[in-house]
Amino acid sequence: MSVFDQPSPPITLLQRERPMRPDLALVGSYIALSILGLLMVYTASISRLEEAGISPTRDLERQGAFVVAGFIAFALMSAFDVRYLQRWVPAIYVGSLFALLLVLTPLGSRVRGVQRWIDIGPLQFQPAELAKVAVILAIAALLAVAARPIRWVSVARAVLVVAVPVVLIFLQPDLGTMLAFGVIAMVILFVAGSSWRQMAALIIAGAVGAVALFQVGAIKEYQISRLTAFLDAGSADINAQYNLQQSEIAIGTGGFLGKGLFNGTQTNLGFVPEQSSDFIFTAVGEQLGFLGATIVLVLFAVLLWRVLSASLNARDRFGQLVAVGAAALITFHVFVNVGMTVGVMPITGLPLPFMSAGGTAFVAMSIALGMAHSVWLRRSPVPGERAVD
Amino acid sequence: MGDVNASWRIVMVGGILAAMLGLLGLKLWTLQVTGVAEYQAKAENNQIRLVNTPAPRGDVYDRNGELLAGTRPSLAVVVDMALVTDDSVDLLATNLAAFLDEPATSLLDTFATANSGAQLILAMDLPEERALILMEHREDFPGVAVIPQPVREYPGGDLAAHVLGYIGRPSAEDLERPDVKGNDVVGKAGVERFYDDVLRGTEGIVKYRVDADRTVLSKAGEQTPRPGSNLYLTIDADVQAQVQDSLKEGLELARRLEMEERGDGLERQDAESRMALAREEAIADIREAAARAAQAAEDEEAAPGSEAAALVALESLPKPEELEEGDVLGALYDGLPLDANGVCVPVQRITLDVGQRSELSGVVGRSIRVVNVTEGRADERSLVLVVDGERFVVGEGDPFATTLRVVSLEPDRIVLTHSDKFCPVRAVSVVQDPRDGSILAMASYPTYDPTAFVSGLTSEEWQRLGTANAFTNFAVQGLYAPASTFKVVAYMLAIEEGIYPLDRPIGDRVLGDEQPTEDVEFGGEQPPVDTLSPLVGDTDLYHCTGSLRFEFNDGSSQVYRDWKRGGHGQLDLHGALQASCDLYFWEIALRIWNERADDAGINNENLWQEWARSFGFGEASGVDLPFEKQGLIPDRTWFRDEQRAGTGRVRSSGPWVGGDLMNAVVGQGTVLVTPLQLANGFSTMVNGGTLWKPRVVDRITDQNGTEIRLTDQDGTVIGGDPVALGRVEMASSTVTAFRSDLQQVVNGPLGTARRAFETFGEGVGSVGGKTGTAEIIKSDDPAREVDTAWFVGVAPVFNPEFVVSVVVERGGSGGKVAAPIARQILQHLVGGRDAVTPLEAGAEAD
Repeated sequence: MSVFDQPSPPITLLQRERPMRPDLALVGSYIALSILGLLMVYTASISRLEEAGISPTRDLERQGAFVVAGFIAFALMSAFDVRYLQRWVPAIYVGSLFALLLVLTPLGSRVRGVQRWIDIGPLQFQPAELAKVAVILAIAALLAVAARPIRWVSVARAVLVVAVPVVLIFLQPDLGTMLAFGVIAMVILFVAGSSWRQMAALIIAGAVGAVALFQVGAIKEYQISRLTAFLDAGSADINAQYNLQQSEIAIGTGGFLGKGLFNGTQTNLGFVPEQSSDFIFTAVGEQLGFLGATIVLVLFAVLLWRVLSASLNARDRFGQLVAVGAAALITFHVFVNVGMTVGVMPITGLPLPFMSAGGTAFVAMSIALGMAHSVWLRRSPVPGERAVD
Repeated sequence: MGDVNASWRIVMVGGILAAMLGLLGLKLWTLQVTGVAEYQAKAENNQIRLVNTPAPRGDVYDRNGELLAGTRPSLAVVVDMALVTDDSVDLLATNLAAFLDEPATSLLDTFATANSGAQLILAMDLPEERALILMEHREDFPGVAVIPQPVREYPGGDLAAHVLGYIGRPSAEDLERPDVKGNDVVGKAGVERFYDDVLRGTEGIVKYRVDADRTVLSKAGEQTPRPGSNLYLTIDADVQAQVQDSLKEGLELARRLEMEERGDGLERQDAESRMALAREEAIADIREAAARAAQAAEDEEAAPGSEAAALVALESLPKPEELEEGDVLGALYDGLPLDANGVCVPVQRITLDVGQRSELSGVVGRSIRVVNVTEGRADERSLVLVVDGERFVVGEGDPFATTLRVVSLEPDRIVLTHSDKFCPVRAVSVVQDPRDGSILAMASYPTYDPTAFVSGLTSEEWQRLGTANAFTNFAVQGLYAPASTFKVVAYMLAIEEGIYPLDRPIGDRVLGDEQPTEDVEFGGEQPPVDTLSPLVGDTDLYHCTGSLRFEFNDGSSQVYRDWKRGGHGQLDLHGALQASCDLYFWEIALRIWNERADDAGINNENLWQEWARSFGFGEASGVDLPFEKQGLIPDRTWFRDEQRAGTGRVRSSGPWVGGDLMNAVVGQGTVLVTPLQLANGFSTMVNGGTLWKPRVVDRITDQNGTEIRLTDQDGTVIGGDPVALGRVEMASSTVTAFRSDLQQVVNGPLGTARRAFETFGEGVGSVGGKTGTAEIIKSDDPAREVDTAWFVGVAPVFNPEFVVSVVVERGGSGGKVAAPIARQILQHLVGGRDAVTPLEAGAEAD
């Protein structure tokens, strides 16, 4: 049974009259970033694997599989009209909360003091990554039907929707992801039409909450020092400082044109930690230089443009909010991740979309992008006509 | 509904998100485009670890290829402080302490004071199996490596130690040289220092690429160490060994002679012989001593008869003027103040209460006991004390028992100093080839083994050797009055300039008896003063009466006495040199002084100084050894400068006078030479006038055996080929006469070294030389108060191949002590080791 045989809303007829052509800029950027990510994962892992006597292509192969899985997820989501998801949102949301809870049980695996994964056979699965998509869907669904102007009660509901997974993630703990949830929720609330007063109140509440958490000692000291290491070159947290320094050195030595593939000494000698996952951008900066790094940023900018374009032209309010949520998700990740490698943002565990090694994140990002693409494919028939609901 | 508000908000979100991406782009620009150089430098430090590999130091061989200084491989335990973290330091110290058997606390101190990048050597010469333990338990010793470290060795022990020098960690001064780092080993003395740049080679560098854990991944490059070049010395190890043996034995001989002399004194310690001694030597002193002895006798009932006799005998004694400076006053007890290592002890201050007893330092344990203090006439205190069972009565300021001097005397206490300026402290010798200036042997005793510096000296050893100045090469750093050996300068000047003495002493006021010696005929009546005329040739006879009263242009006059009280009788220049007649040479000085005035009436007496300097005296010879002293040829300018500067080396007032020149001409006064300068000066005289630059390095070869030539900044060759520094124009007849007179010093009837060479054996006729005895000079500087015995020998004297200078510090007479040492060395040089006969004292002669 093909997804196209699903029952469609009335406007589908109009759409059928116009063939659905994929957004080439979006798809092209997505594929380009994924392929480049594969290459970077390979260059960043090869020497470490060789040294360990493991097949040098192991990480490449594994990431390749994720990329394929991601592409499939993207294609499925593109083909699938997101409006059909709307009714499944409660189930998706509850399911993802359940997965987040699982992480905290003995089923979750603990790596470097944090519990983020669930082992499913040979696969490791990071529920938090999928929860990001679920939260986008949940808030979008909530606000898509909310009365306009947004009332405080809607804001409170949205906050509640975000707060539950954030608390669960806080227990892992993963400060970066918590922040990402907050930002995504804010962006969606903003586009959904929250008042400035509501926005300001949320920001203040978030700040007060963070301070409160710190005051009661719920946020551990290492997390603070990691977060603030980028502000203070003489920071006491030598490890965080070291990571940041090595990362900056890697990117800085790349120069304008880079050292060339496989010539990244910082990358290949293991000076940069988490080289193929969190710090994958250092491999780009060192090997491909300013030019390569800028191309990556431009590709993300193209994605941002295309996804927001989808949002602008969305046929309905839900699609509009899902797309803007996807834009916020992807771009915020890019900003925090790249910002961390160049020292303008704290060191957190947020991956670089489509490039960092890691399956769940890749698939989750692909789903988010796929949903935005789906929105674009099923956009308003008249160019320039805005989404109505 | 067209939601304009939502669209606007989406665009706004897009703008913010795009701005964030833009911000990243800007930051990338500053990192990658404007900051690239800075980060490249950081990356370099990050990934490359430089490890220096020491270059093997060059070897040093003697002229026949015998190894004198080499390098052997050894394993060292090295800690790389860069790899020692705060977490690991305690574990490391504990484990290393157990491994090296050292206290962990001292290791921790060492680590704490080390630079973070330092590589500390904790132990050397690690046996291989122990090294294996370290390497197998790497994880227990973080940052520790076993590194092959070349170790210097000196197979000959102390052989040629002063020429070779020693090595050590660089001083602050060394560190100012380019290429010298704190961890290096540099030469500190001798050729090790002088040729340090050549010997040291160039350190190799291995560049390791390391990862984040500083684990070595690969060798990123290597600059192999360039081993140092080898030195071939002009030193002949055989001759050197002979010289060192002879010096050691010679010094022992000198000490034995000194002790015998004191033993003689000891025998005369009963009252009668004390009187007899007083008659000859120490009248004033003994007068007081006897007076006190008498005083003491009253209290102590000790031999009252003999003390009384002493007082009676005192009345008939000659006047005390006969007492000479430097006479040994009361050589009263046996034994020299030597410590267990044979080193003359420095001044020791002892405070004793009455009734107390103390041990005195020295080879033979001696004790001193204070009996009591008596008050004599005019509040004069005297003290009765017993030294090794011998009873003395002394007053304040009295020197007694040679080594003891009373500093202060109180009713219940005595303060003494215990020292011995007559204890022979050192013997130094240089053997030079006068044909090219090369040094065959150079030694200074006491000496040391340079190996000690490799393994490190204990503070005791250091102190012992330091007290004896054993590390100093006195052949180039020792300054001595050359005494009569320096008469050769005036000898050359006399012949070449035609300046001989007046035909008899000026003023005709002759003291002492005028009996002619058997060898020369006494020539008739004394002419009146105004008819005195200069001698005109080197065979004209001069009448030496033993003392000289002379007058200066400024009207002052003075009496000088020859070392031989009775005089030498009639002799010519040759006889004067052979017999070492002081008067003859003083007269030459007086003629220079009186007759060399310029038009303005200012004395232009520098003729002698010019001659002395032409033979290389008064300036550094330029030998290829460090710290060379330049010596001193005094003149009016120098005298005036010293006086103005108030250095205390000259009289505080009054001009440079003729007496100063007279002293200088016979090698006394302020003239100072090094043993090397004296050998080199003699070489110049006997080789016909070529002043060579002395050198100890014959050639330098790199590791491939290719000869290297070194030059200094002026382009002068260093080491290697002979370099002539100058040429003294002398008639060949002068040189021949000089050689034959030197031969006569050893062989002739007048010769001062004749007795010392009696056992020379075959070939003694081809040996020549000159003795010298410098007398103690009263000076503020105790180092100058040195009684120095000299001999400079030449062989074969008519075709010179060897010049040997020997000096024994505080050695007494040159003929008696220095000449026999030189005799042994010359025996070896002429006839080989088998020809050497045992050391015996020569005759007491100047």
